[in-house]
Amino acid sequence: MLLSARGVARRYGRVVALAPTSLDIRTGEAVALIGPNGAGKSTLLSILAGALEPTEGLVEGRDGTGRIGWVPQRPAHYSRLTPRENLELFARLEGVDDPPTTAARFIELLELPDDGRLTAQLSAGNQQRLNLAVALLGRPEVLLLDEPTASLDPRQRRRLWDVASRVREREGAVVFATQNLEELEHFATRVIVLLDGAVVFAGSLDEFRRAPEADVFA
Amino acid sequence: MTKIRLLLAKDLRLLGRSPALLAALVLYPLVFAVLVGLVVRYANDRPKVAFVDLDHLPETLTVGGQSFNVPRVISQVQGSVQLVAMDEEDADHELANGSIVAEIVVPRGFASKLRGMVESPRLVLRTAHGGLSSRVEQQTQALVYSLNRRLQRAYIDANLQYVKLLVEGGQGSFLGDEFDVVGLDRAAQMLEEIKQSSNDPVVVQRAEELSVFVREARLALGASGESLRATANPIELETDTSGGRTWLLSAQLQAYALGLTLAFICVLLAAAALAAERDENVIGRLTRGLVRLAELVVVKVLLAVLVAVGLGVVIALVFGVLAEAFGVSGGEPWQRLPLLVLGLALAGAAFGAFGTLVGALARDSRTAVLVAFLAALPLVLLGLVPEGAARAAWWAARFFPFSHAVRFFQASLYDASPWGTLGREAVWLLALVLAFGAAARVAVRRLAM
Repeated sequence: MLLSARGVARRYGRVVALAPTSLDIRTGEAVALIGPNGAGKSTLLSILAGALEPTEGLVEGRDGTGRIGWVPQRPAHYSRLTPRENLELFARLEGVDDPPTTAARFIELLELPDDGRLTAQLSAGNQQRLNLAVALLGRPEVLLLDEPTASLDPRQRRRLWDVASRVREREGAVVFATQNLEELEHFATRVIVLLDGAVVFAGSLDEFRRAPEADVFA
Repeated sequence: MTKIRLLLAKDLRLLGRSPALLAALVLYPLVFAVLVGLVVRYANDRPKVAFVDLDHLPETLTVGGQSFNVPRVISQVQGSVQLVAMDEEDADHELANGSIVAEIVVPRGFASKLRGMVESPRLVLRTAHGGLSSRVEQQTQALVYSLNRRLQRAYIDANLQYVKLLVEGGQGSFLGDEFDVVGLDRAAQMLEEIKQSSNDPVVVQRAEELSVFVREARLALGASGESLRATANPIELETDTSGGRTWLLSAQLQAYALGLTLAFICVLLAAAALAAERDENVIGRLTRGLVRLAELVVVKVLLAVLVAVGLGVVIALVFGVLAEAFGVSGGEPWQRLPLLVLGLALAGAAFGAFGTLVGALARDSRTAVLVAFLAALPLVLLGLVPEGAARAAWWAARFFPFSHAVRFFQASLYDASPWGTLGREAVWLLALVLAFGAAARVAVRRLAM
C-alpha cells in the first residue's frame, strides 16, 4: 500500500466539501477521480497531497517530502522566477542532489522554455508543464494530478501520460482527477466517482463501464 | 535554516524583479530623508518671533544711571531668532495659525518697574506647541539672562550709590522722596566732637561705643562694592559651540523619519510577501512537508529585517550627509551607526511580524496591502501622541512597534547615556516580535487551508 486515506472529510463551517472518504492507493494503480465541478475531487487530492488538512480522518503513507508529487489544478510556482529558477528552488527544498542538473533534466524532458523569460510570461500550457515538473522533482512514488491536461495540446498530453506511466512502471501509482472520459479509458485502472462531496462509485474501469454512473458522464 | 535561507533569497530576488515596488522602496526613504533634511535645514534657520511692545519702550532706557539702547538690545536676539514687531492681536493670530513660533510681550509698566528697581518686571513668552517652541524658549531665556546680567550691574551700581551715601552722607532720593543723610564719616566726626566736649563719663563711653560701630560699619561698607559684584556673578559661564551631538530637534526628526518609513514599508512588505505565497498558489506546495509554517513566518520577518536595515542605513547616511552639508550641530550619526543598525533590525522584525500577521489574516496580497496600510496608519498616529496628552492612546501605541522604534533610534543616535532606554525598548520590540510572530504562526495555518 502506497497511500491510504482513512475516513478523511473536509468541512467549511456547515458546508461539506468532502464527506468521510476512505481510499487505498496500491502499487501500479492509476486511479481516476471523476465527477462534476464542486464534487470534491480537488479537495480529496489536496488532502492526499498534504496541502489541505482534513477536518476528520487521516492519511497514512505520506512520510517523506518526496514521496508524493502533487500537480494542483492551478499552477503552483513563482510567476516572477524563470522555470529553471523555480525548478532549482523546489529541488533544493526537496533536498534533491544536484539541483541544477535535475532542473536541466526536467527542462529537457518536458520541453520547458529556458530563455530567461519569467514564468508569468509563459503560455498556460508551459506553466502547466512546469507545474508537473515541480511535482516530479522528488521522484515521487505517488503522483497526484488535478485535471492536468486542461491547458495542454494533444502532443503535450501524450507526453504527460508518458511521464505518468513511468511513475507507475517504477512501482508507483497515479491518482488523477479528470472530466475527460477518453483519458480515463486510456489510462485509468480504477475509477472513483464523486458527487456533492461523497463517493458514489468505486470500482475497476470495467465495472465503471457497466455502472449506471458511467452514463452520467458519457 | 537552509530552507529559510533559500526562501529568503527567493523573496529578495522577487523583490528585485518588481521594478515599481523596488523603486518605491528606494525612492520613498530617499524622498523622506530629503524632506527631513530640508526640515533640518529650516531648523537651523532663524524662526520668526513676534515682538509685542505694550509699554512703548523708549529708544533709550536709563536704569540706575545706566542707559540701555533698546533697539540694540533687541538686535542681540535677532541673531538667534527673527524678531518682528507686531501688535498683540496680530501676534496672537499669527501664533495661532503657525506663521510665527512665539511672541515676546513687553507688558505695560515694564519700563517704570525696571526704573523703580523695587519689583522685578516680567517679559511674557508665548509659544506654539511644536518642535521649535523649546528652541525659541531657550533663545528667549538666553536673552533674559543677558539682559539680567547687564541690569545686575546697573542695580549694583545704584545700590552702591546708596552705600556711598551712607558712608559719605549727602542728599539722596528713593521712590521720588528727597532726603539728607549725615553719613558715617560725618557721624564719626560728630562722635569725636561729643567725646571731646562732654565731661559726662557715661556720654563719653556711649560715644566711644558708637564710634567703634561707625568705624566697623565704614570698613564693612567700604568692601561692599566688590562683595556685591562677586555675589552677582558667582560663576561666569563660557559657552562653547564647537561640538556636541545632543540637539534634540534633529534627533527627533531623524528618529521619526526612520520610524515612519519602516512602519509602512516593513508592514506592507511582510503582509504582501506572505499573502503572495497564497496568490501564487505555492503555500500548499510549501507547507506539505517542504517548509514548516513557523519557518515561513520567520522568512517574512527576516525579509522585513533586511529591508529595514538596508533602507534605514540609506536614510541615516542621507540624513547625516544633509546634516553635515547644512552644518546642523548634533547631526552626525556616524559613531552610533552600529547601535542604529541593531535598532533597525529589531524594529524591522517587529514591524515584519505585525505585517506577517496581517498578511496571514488577509489571505490575498491586495487585501493584505490595504489592510496593512489601514492598520499601520492609525497605529503610527497613536505613536505620535505624547505621553500625558491622551493616556489611553499612548498606552495603545505601546503595543505597536512604532513608538518603541522611535525611542530606540533617538537613544541610539544621540543620548549621552543610551543604555537604559536601549535595553527597555529592545525588550519591548523583542516581545512584540514574539507576540506578533506567534499570532502570525497561528493565523498562517488558515492560509494553507
